[in-house]
Amino acid sequence: MPPRLIFFRACRSLAVRTRSSITPSQPRILQVASRRGFADEKSPKPATGPNQDVLGSVSQEAADVGKVTGEEEPDLSQGTPVQEILKRDQEGQEKAPEVIKEEMDKKVADPTSIANHVALRQMENIAAGGELSDTVELGHKYELPDLPLPPDGNLKYRYDPVVSQVTNLLMKDGKKSVAQRNMSYILNYLRTAPPPSTNPARPLVPGSPPASHLPLNPALYLTVAVDSVAPLLRIRALKGAAGGGNSLQIPVPLGLRQRRRQAFQWILDAANKKKSRGSGKGQFAQRVAEELISVVEGRSTAWDRRNLVHRAGTTARANLNYRVHRKK
Amino acid sequence: MASSGCWKCLARPSGSLTSQLALRTPGVSAAFSTTTARAALPIKAKKPSQARPALKAKGSKTLRIKKKAPAKPSGKPPMPGERKAMRKRIVLSNTNALEVPMMDFNEHMVADPTMAGKVVALPGEVVDSLRAVEAFKVNQGWGLFRKPALLLREESAVLGQKMVAAEKNKEAVRLVIDGERGSGKSLMLLHALSAAFLRGWIVLSIPEAQDLCNASTEYAPLPGTNPTIYTQNVYTANFLAQIQKSNSVLQTLHVTKSHNLPIPLPEKTTLARLCELGARDPDISWPIFQAFWAEITGPARPPVLFTLDSLSFTMGLSAYRSASYELIHAHDLALVQHFVTYLSGEKPLPNGGAILGATSRSHAPVSASLELALKQALEKQQHGEIMTKKDPYGKKYDTRAEDKLKSVEVLKLKGLSKVEARGLMEYWAQSGLLRSRVDERLVTEKWALAGNGIVGEIERGVLRMRI
Repeated sequence: MPPRLIFFRACRSLAVRTRSSITPSQPRILQVASRRGFADEKSPKPATGPNQDVLGSVSQEAADVGKVTGEEEPDLSQGTPVQEILKRDQEGQEKAPEVIKEEMDKKVADPTSIANHVALRQMENIAAGGELSDTVELGHKYELPDLPLPPDGNLKYRYDPVVSQVTNLLMKDGKKSVAQRNMSYILNYLRTAPPPSTNPARPLVPGSPPASHLPLNPALYLTVAVDSVAPLLRIRALKGAAGGGNSLQIPVPLGLRQRRRQAFQWILDAANKKKSRGSGKGQFAQRVAEELISVVEGRSTAWDRRNLVHRAGTTARANLNYRVHRKK
Repeated sequence: MASSGCWKCLARPSGSLTSQLALRTPGVSAAFSTTTARAALPIKAKKPSQARPALKAKGSKTLRIKKKAPAKPSGKPPMPGERKAMRKRIVLSNTNALEVPMMDFNEHMVADPTMAGKVVALPGEVVDSLRAVEAFKVNQGWGLFRKPALLLREESAVLGQKMVAAEKNKEAVRLVIDGERGSGKSLMLLHALSAAFLRGWIVLSIPEAQDLCNASTEYAPLPGTNPTIYTQNVYTANFLAQIQKSNSVLQTLHVTKSHNLPIPLPEKTTLARLCELGARDPDISWPIFQAFWAEITGPARPPVLFTLDSLSFTMGLSAYRSASYELIHAHDLALVQHFVTYLSGEKPLPNGGAILGATSRSHAPVSASLELALKQALEKQQHGEIMTKKDPYGKKYDTRAEDKLKSVEVLKLKGLSKVEARGLMEYWAQSGLLRSRVDERLVTEKWALAGNGIVGEIERGVLRMRI
C-alpha cells in the first residue's frame, strides 16, 4: 500500500516559523512527551541538552506573554499548528498554499483537540443526568496507578517474601510446582488447626499478634513461626587460628533472609524426623505444618538449636576482634 | 533372565551348564565328529582355592564399614485402615472461620433465578443426608468454612426449574452435566441432591462410577441371564445402606407389592426396613434392590432422583473379566445397567424425577461416544440441528454407549458470571479466608485469571493460596 499523502502535514513542516531550531516530524506528540511530568508536574525538569534552552515557538511565546499579562493563554499541550501562526500573520495567510487556505475556510474543529474532548465529556455528563457546569476531568483510558506503588507491585516480588522464600526451601529436585502445592497445603493446615497456645518461656518475635489471630492469617502465622526461631548469628570456625591446630569460633551476624533460611532448615530437619500418620501426597506438608505449630507453641527442637547457637555466640564474642594476619 | 538351555533347541532344555561349557571349550569336541558334545566328559570345576588366591595377608587391616541398622519405629504404628480413613476423612467445619449470616437453603430457592449469586447455608438434616450419600468430596474445600454452604448459580436455577417441572408433570429429567475441569459439575449434582432432599424426593446416588467399574469390588454372574449380567453384591448392600440412611421419607412408606424374595417379608414392612435387610446380607442385596425399585416406582410414591458422577467410566469396557477372560462391558454390570436404562429413557419414571449424570474432566477415561453424544446434544439444543458427524474411520466408538446416549439432554456449565463470582468472594471474605477488599477490580482480576470465571480456578487462586 502506498503511503497516504497528507497535504496538511507536509505543509506544516514547510511553514514559516519565527523561531524553531529543530523541526520535529510530529510536533504534537513530541510536545506532549517532552512536557509530561511523571512524578511531579508542577516543577518542570531543568533543560539539559544544548538545544533545549532556546526560546519557545509562537504559542509558547504567546503563553508566556499571556501568563504575564493575565490574558488568555494558548494550550501548550497541543503543539503549534500552522493555522495559529497564520492567524496572526496577514501576509502569511495570503501566501499560504491552497490546501491550507481551504482548510482554514472550512473552520472544522480538530476532533482530537482537548476542547473537543471536554465538550464530549460534558455531553456525557448531561446524558448521565448531570449539569453542564460539572467539572470535567480528562482521565486516562487505563487509570494511572496509585503512587507510591505497593510493595508487591513489582512483578518479581509480588508474593509475600517469607512465603516465596519458604516455598523455595521446600523444593526438592527443582520441582517448584510440588513445593507450591505443599506450601498451599501448609497454609491451609495452619488455617484450619486450632489456635496455638503459646509458651511464655519461648517468647515469640516482638510485635507478633495474639495467638488467636494467627490461624486466619496463615502467611503471618508462618512468618511468626520462622522469625521466632531465627538465629541472630552463626559461628564461623577459623581453622588453626586458636593455636595448636584448634579452630577459633567467631560469631558472624546474619542477614534477614539468612536467618529465616537457617530457621526453616531446622524446622525442616525436625519435620523430616517425624513419622507420617496418614497416607497420600500431603503427608510431608502436614508434618511441616505440625512442626510450625509446635514452634509457635514452644515445643520444637528448633528452639534448642537456636539457643545453642546463641550461647556459642556469647562464649565466642571475645573473638570478635580477631584479625587475620597475613604474611607479606 | 537368559535360560540356561540352548536357545535354538527350546524343546529340549540342556541338563546343566557344564554341557554348554563343553561345547565352547576348544579341543574337547572332536574336529570331525557327529557325536554330540554331551558324550564328552564334563570338565571338572576348578577348585575355589586355585581360582581365588588369598587376597588378605595375615594380620593386615581391611576397611570395614558397618551397615547402619534401620531405625526402629517409635510409637504405635497406625492400625489397619486408619491411614486410608485419614485420607478419606471429610471435615465439614473450621472453627477458626468466622460465622457468616446467610439464609438456609429451602425448597423455594431451588428454582428461583433471582437467587443467582447468593450463597446459602445447607440445613443440618440435608448435610447429614448428603454426608450419607458421600456427596461431599475430599478436595472440595468444605473444611475451610464454619459450615457447608452452596453458591446458587444461574445454571442451578435452570436445573431446579427442570426438576420442579418434572415433579409437577410426573416426567423424568434425563440430563448429563458437562463442563470444563473445575467448572462445578459435582457441586451441581450436590445442588440437585440437596434440592431433592428438601422437596421430599427419594434419592439414590452413586458418588463415583469408578468404584463400580474398576474391578475393586466383588462381582458375580446373575444366574439365568443371557447375555450374562454381573451383580456387585457388596457394593449394592452398601448402596442400600446409604439409601436407607439418607432418605428419611422411607420410614413412612410401606411395602405394597408382593415380591419373590429369598427371605420372608413381614407385612407392613417399611421401605427403610427393606433397605436395611438388603444392606445386612450382600447375597440377597440385588433382589432386594430390585424389589425396592419396584416399590418406589409404584403408584403414589414421591419422585426419584438417581445420580451418578464420572459418567465416562460407565461408557465403555469395565476392568472386570468374564469367565472366558474377556473384559466385561460396563453395561453388563447390573447396577450400571439399571442406571443407564433409565438415563436413556427406555423405562419411564411413573412418579417423575430426574436421572442425572455428571462427567469428570480430571481423572476419567475419554469415551469417544460420550463426547460425541454430548456435542451433538448440545448442538441440537442450541441450533436445532446436529452439525458434528461421527468420524467414519473412528474405531474408538462404543455402540452400546451410543445407543443409550441418543436422547439425553446436556447441561453445559460455563464459568461463573461476575455477579456470582462476587457473591462467592464476598462470602469468602466474610468467612475471614480472603484477606482483601472485594471490589470490582479484584473480582474482575480473579475472574479473568480463572479462565473467565471457572469456579475451581477462582478458588485455587484466591482461597487455596496456591501461587
